[in-house]
Amino acid sequence: MDTFGLLLQGFDVALQPMNLFWALVGSVLGTAIGILPGIGPALTIALLLPVTVSVGPVSAFIMFAGVLYGAMYGGSTTSILINTPGEAGSMMTALEGNKMARSGRGAAALATAAVGSFVAGTIATVLLTFAAPSIAELAFYFKPADYFALTVLAFTSVAVVMGTSRVRGFISLFIGLAFGVIGIDKMTGQPRMTFGVSSLLDGMELTVVLVSLFAIGEIIYVASRYRHQNDDIMPIKGGLWMTKDDWKRSFMPWLRGTAIGFPMGALPGGGSEIPTMLSYTLEKKLCKRKEEFGTVGAIEGVAGPEAANNAAAAGVLVPLLTLGLPTSATAAILLAAFQNFGLQPGPFLFTSNPELIWGLIASLYVGNVMLLILNLPLVGIWVKLLLIPKPQLYAGILVFAMIGIWGVSGSTFDLACMVAVGLMGYVMRVYDFPIAPILIGLILGPMAENQLRTALAAAQGNPAILVETPISIVILTVSALFLLVPVVLRRLRKAA
Amino acid sequence: MQNKETPSPAGVTAAGPEAAAPGARPWWLGIAVIILGCICLYATTTLPATAQYAAIGPGMFVTIAGGGLLLLGILLLIQIARGERFEAQDTENATGNLPMDKRAFFTALAATIVPALTMEALGLPITAMLSFTLVARAFGSNKTIIDLITGAILGSVCWFLFSRLGLQLGGFLPLAGF
Repeated sequence: MDTFGLLLQGFDVALQPMNLFWALVGSVLGTAIGILPGIGPALTIALLLPVTVSVGPVSAFIMFAGVLYGAMYGGSTTSILINTPGEAGSMMTALEGNKMARSGRGAAALATAAVGSFVAGTIATVLLTFAAPSIAELAFYFKPADYFALTVLAFTSVAVVMGTSRVRGFISLFIGLAFGVIGIDKMTGQPRMTFGVSSLLDGMELTVVLVSLFAIGEIIYVASRYRHQNDDIMPIKGGLWMTKDDWKRSFMPWLRGTAIGFPMGALPGGGSEIPTMLSYTLEKKLCKRKEEFGTVGAIEGVAGPEAANNAAAAGVLVPLLTLGLPTSATAAILLAAFQNFGLQPGPFLFTSNPELIWGLIASLYVGNVMLLILNLPLVGIWVKLLLIPKPQLYAGILVFAMIGIWGVSGSTFDLACMVAVGLMGYVMRVYDFPIAPILIGLILGPMAENQLRTALAAAQGNPAILVETPISIVILTVSALFLLVPVVLRRLRKAA
Repeated sequence: MQNKETPSPAGVTAAGPEAAAPGARPWWLGIAVIILGCICLYATTTLPATAQYAAIGPGMFVTIAGGGLLLLGILLLIQIARGERFEAQDTENATGNLPMDKRAFFTALAATIVPALTMEALGLPITAMLSFTLVARAFGSNKTIIDLITGAILGSVCWFLFSRLGLQLGGFLPLAGF
């Protein structure tokens, strides 16, 4: 069957009343957590995971898609109205968006962000629809050595791109890899790194590590350096819609933002920070009214980065769905969610579980429409969430975090791990270590190990097998470039 | 040292050049990473060699992880010796270059330790009540009675809601036997 027919089937799944309901729940939750500080999409999905066991994979992933996209809509709202970007991807939106709100054009900024997210999300989903099956097809030819090379690429790119220092990025990654080997070795049945603790035989649960790092580490860190300051919420002025001129000025930035965001999101290590920054710089260069940038706020500077941010989020799904390769913290938890249901994303999922994949892709379209409706007219209600006092808000996050961890397996040992890993999360924030590489290492480490051992075993332990196929050579070369290019550039700059 | 006021809005502008690095030479960070590496390497010595095939056994990846951490720990020590700067991250509601509030830190830490001690014996609602109040206090709330009540209500509502959704959250009030 062709892609289009499969997509129609996907819509059949996504438009079932029950799944529409879950898409709505996900979109509402996603928007809410995007607006609230201290809680992001990865953490939300981790907390929802134990609950979704009873609803089945299709509905669960439709809800997660809503959370993923909704968080970005919510994030842009806070960036514009109170100048607090909730995540790295909305930092650029805050620059111009908040200026616009201050000069009484908040409504137009919110509208261009929401419509831009919608346009980018829809185009990116179309690209995903058609790109994913062909990449999945390619992946059939991948040998274990190629898969191993891919995981190496994901490792190096995540460790290099995220955070300020390569050494600290790699330390995070290797801590994740070390966490990943804890438990019973799947190939030989040997317990590893358990030190006689029976609770460790099943390994470190990704949910426990993620919730501890993101929620517990954040709560302790923010408490220790809490800024006692009331957010100053800009009233929404200037009608609820954009003028004809606003539309004209937003249209091209949306498209350009999408064109930058989607491929960069699909690349390992691309993330959302770099594409939004690129889009902002590009719009600033191309804009005819440069004087508006940084003064009254230029609408192009909101439209472009917002589109890039949303397109990048859809891009992240390409390597995840086709190769089973997560490239961000959110993608890592989505991969864990697949594994929770006994599914392994990758080329085989397209043939073994088309209902799930195409239902998920179709629900991305549905979610975008839903979010547009939820966010444009109702933004006044969403902003009310910011009135929750901070002490009680962070206290509530801790309650949800402990439920999330306790609910995984009802083990006091997990709660003790929560304290230890949470403290580590605190130290990482104080000394500026990136957190995502730990999660990528934890979830991809066992996959990398599996492929490496399979490849080596087939070659009687000869490591040359790892560079025998052209695919693996290319991918390993790119990984090496990720590592070396920044060093070489720095040397060259010093020499010049 | 910094004063309490921060002119920059949340997260948008980076900390100024005068940002106080927490502890000018945090040697212990590098040492901690090296210790982690050594723990991994030690763990490989307890694995039986019989499970190996052509030198590929369950210990190989542990050795890679441990060796990597050991090496990176040494690199980090070298960086620290050369005067590497560590600037605390800015996030929403927190500014990296504020001095650490030790009291708030320990109160929040206590809040996270409570669940491990009380969850099994006292159940979720009471644990939530205690942790909730401690975190709120760490963030400067002094309405203790209201926080206690809010925490207990939140914990109870969550217990009922998530139990209905199929989560195993233990007894509601194990002390009272249910």
